[in-house]
Amino acid sequence: MFCLRKTILFLLLISGLGAQSIFNAYGLGLSKSFHHTSAAGAGSIGLVPTFHPGVSLDNPATWPGLKFTFISGSYGNRSVGSANGNSGNTGNGFEKIQFIIPIKDRYGFGLSLKPINNHNSFFKTDTSSFDFQGKSITANKEFRSGGGVLAGSIGLALPLNEKMGLGISLDRLFGSSRDEHSLVLNSMAYRLFNIRTYNGSSFNLNFAGQFYKNDKMMVLGFARISMTGKPVSGTMYQFDLFEDKNDSYTYDPGDYPATVEVDTIEVSDIYAPNSFSFGLSVGFKNDLNIFGEFQMWSDEASNADFASIYMDQIGSKIHIGGGMVRFGNMAARSWPDKLTFRAGAFKESYSLKYSGKTINENGLSLGFGFKFAATGNQIDFSYRTGSRSIDGGYKELIQDFSIGVSLGDIWFLRRRGKQ
Amino acid sequence: MNKTFLNTTIGLCLIGFTLFSACEEAAIPVDGEGTPMKLDTISFPVVKAVSYRTPPEMGNTEYLYFGKKDGYNFQYNLIKFDSSSMTAQTPFSYYNDSLVVVDSLMMSLRFEKDTIENNNPEFQLRYFPDGGDSVFTELESNYFNFDKSSASLVISTARMKTDTTDSNSTKVFLNFMLDTTIMKVFKDTNVTDFNRSFLVELVNEETESFNFISMDKGDQYGPLLTVFYRQFLSDTVVLDTVQRLYNSVGDLSIVVPPEVSDEDTSFLSVGMAMGLKSIVLVDMGDWVLPPKSVVSSAELIFSRAQSDTLENYSVISYLIINEGVYQSFSSFVEDPYKEELNFYTASSVIGNVLKINHRKAATEIGRGKITNYGFKLQTSISNDPFTTVLFHNLNSSDSYPVMRVIYVLP
Repeated sequence: MFCLRKTILFLLLISGLGAQSIFNAYGLGLSKSFHHTSAAGAGSIGLVPTFHPGVSLDNPATWPGLKFTFISGSYGNRSVGSANGNSGNTGNGFEKIQFIIPIKDRYGFGLSLKPINNHNSFFKTDTSSFDFQGKSITANKEFRSGGGVLAGSIGLALPLNEKMGLGISLDRLFGSSRDEHSLVLNSMAYRLFNIRTYNGSSFNLNFAGQFYKNDKMMVLGFARISMTGKPVSGTMYQFDLFEDKNDSYTYDPGDYPATVEVDTIEVSDIYAPNSFSFGLSVGFKNDLNIFGEFQMWSDEASNADFASIYMDQIGSKIHIGGGMVRFGNMAARSWPDKLTFRAGAFKESYSLKYSGKTINENGLSLGFGFKFAATGNQIDFSYRTGSRSIDGGYKELIQDFSIGVSLGDIWFLRRRGKQ
Repeated sequence: MNKTFLNTTIGLCLIGFTLFSACEEAAIPVDGEGTPMKLDTISFPVVKAVSYRTPPEMGNTEYLYFGKKDGYNFQYNLIKFDSSSMTAQTPFSYYNDSLVVVDSLMMSLRFEKDTIENNNPEFQLRYFPDGGDSVFTELESNYFNFDKSSASLVISTARMKTDTTDSNSTKVFLNFMLDTTIMKVFKDTNVTDFNRSFLVELVNEETESFNFISMDKGDQYGPLLTVFYRQFLSDTVVLDTVQRLYNSVGDLSIVVPPEVSDEDTSFLSVGMAMGLKSIVLVDMGDWVLPPKSVVSSAELIFSRAQSDTLENYSVISYLIINEGVYQSFSSFVEDPYKEELNFYTASSVIGNVLKINHRKAATEIGRGKITNYGFKLQTSISNDPFTTVLFHNLNSSDSYPVMRVIYVLP
């Protein structure tokens, strides 16, 4: 047998970065729409059930539908290339680590850690040349950013009645990021760095309810309201520009000038995510589910003093998506019948705060999952592909592959007594 | 379902994923619209420029000069020796010991050539028994400010001799044998750091020049003072004569330069032995360097007025800290323009163009931290001291000096 456990552990421990996109250089970058692999495979934002019948790991209101306690992790790899095919890069990183305990089919409790934005970017401008009174000058610029905001969440699922449930989660937002600006002048690099730390909170109210059910179909409705508790504030460390004589990417004693200063700036209200989402899922007798989702996301932060690479920020986002999920039957004899299949399509439209420009992303997704062992262990794979472009400008192609491993165990569930 | 098949499938997927997830970073090419970091340039004219003259400062030359050459009159040389010997670090106070008897002293200068040509003139030596702890300053003493009358009468004379100890490499030395009474002055003085300085000159005026190696050449053949002594172990037992070698710690040729030419005064000129320097004022107006910017280069550019080839000629430049007088060429007994030593920079003449990067000074001027009084140009100590280099002045139609600044804004 392959060293399955070791491989999983290795994958979880790899600390990589998501693939770079120039769009992540706007403010804190693009907000992430999905976290768990099961949602990614269906092109979902995690509102409607994609993990298990009636359950989305990203929606606490659905957690009571889990039969076992789960520890789950998702790890993704993303490839981003320019549409004209002249560049491409890949990156990877964890999407979510989660621990969920369903309690007596009515309640649920969970902890999770997940990145909520993608701040990774690495791009350069074309080289320009000009003559300055007889001196030939060539220059180009390079920019790089990484890091971002993580959300450490605690969630609780509560029943409203027989057919409705409520989920509450509190996100502690924290993290740090770094960006580097370089101008290469006649092979000499001039660089500056910004490092920021983040601290804030948000909370989410999730709803799940059964709207209609007959012998042939069942209609489920889901909604989420996310609001900022404490807008993200932080400390910004702005290092002075310097001439990187030895091209070491760090300030060394031999660099110019002889000293550089660091401005420490306390910034507040730089990120305040709010969103409203709802979704419908229709389940048929043959285990097929179709769904649709809509999300309006906005950053209500009022402080424009956020020195990202581009002096603009993602201000809002609209997500529209739909797809199908056919859940596998664990009791089936044939192993293909045990597989969960997912497919979806989505469109996301980001608006920039200050320029008003729009970034459009369209994508298709596919995924499958497989349950194994008696406690409902599940491994999920997803593949997403799409394109992203800004008004009349740069266009990039995205491919995203992620894997999720969820291991179940029996906690707080009534065990059958020994006969 | 076959469990092995399942595990194999999952394992293959994971391994494939691991390979797929190898990180590849490549910068995405984009246009520069909306990106920070900017390059800017600005050109400042040199609005005032003038050459001036000070007494030659020959303290760092590689040779000690005697005689006359091309109008230069090398009057005499001043040499100071270390207070401790080379290897044993023997101080002069050591010879105060009653059991130590100094037999003789010898002061040696090595001739620049390995053979003595037709003329072998006589040299004479003086010292400064009343000099206290300071006789001359290597970097400041000159024919204007040094009083030769403070030296003693002649204490020794010598002519050059060929040393054939090493038959493969003969050397020529000028060895002055000294009376031990000099040592008595050195060792009995109450002055802790007694000067141990000597004056060497030609006995008669010569029409040609004779060059000896200075300590500044750094080849260990600079002036040397040798003390021969014996040490008594008792009243009757005495060790063989031994010697201690004392290196020169300062030497200087006192030179009277020829008169300046019209070219020297009409162009911007620099030359060590001529004592020629220049100052220029760059009109930077009210220029303000944007905050956090870095000046990549602030080149003060001069075009050479002479057309001959010049190799490895370096010019040093400082920001001056007092107002310059730019009306006309002047001669000064002492350099009136003090330098801001923190803004020293040097550059070589390449292709008859001198580009001196004063970005540090330009940065501080652009930030309003220092006043722009102008920049001084002078020859580097590494150059031939007798080479005078002329640069075009403001009256040149197309080769006038200018400062070009390139800076990067965040």
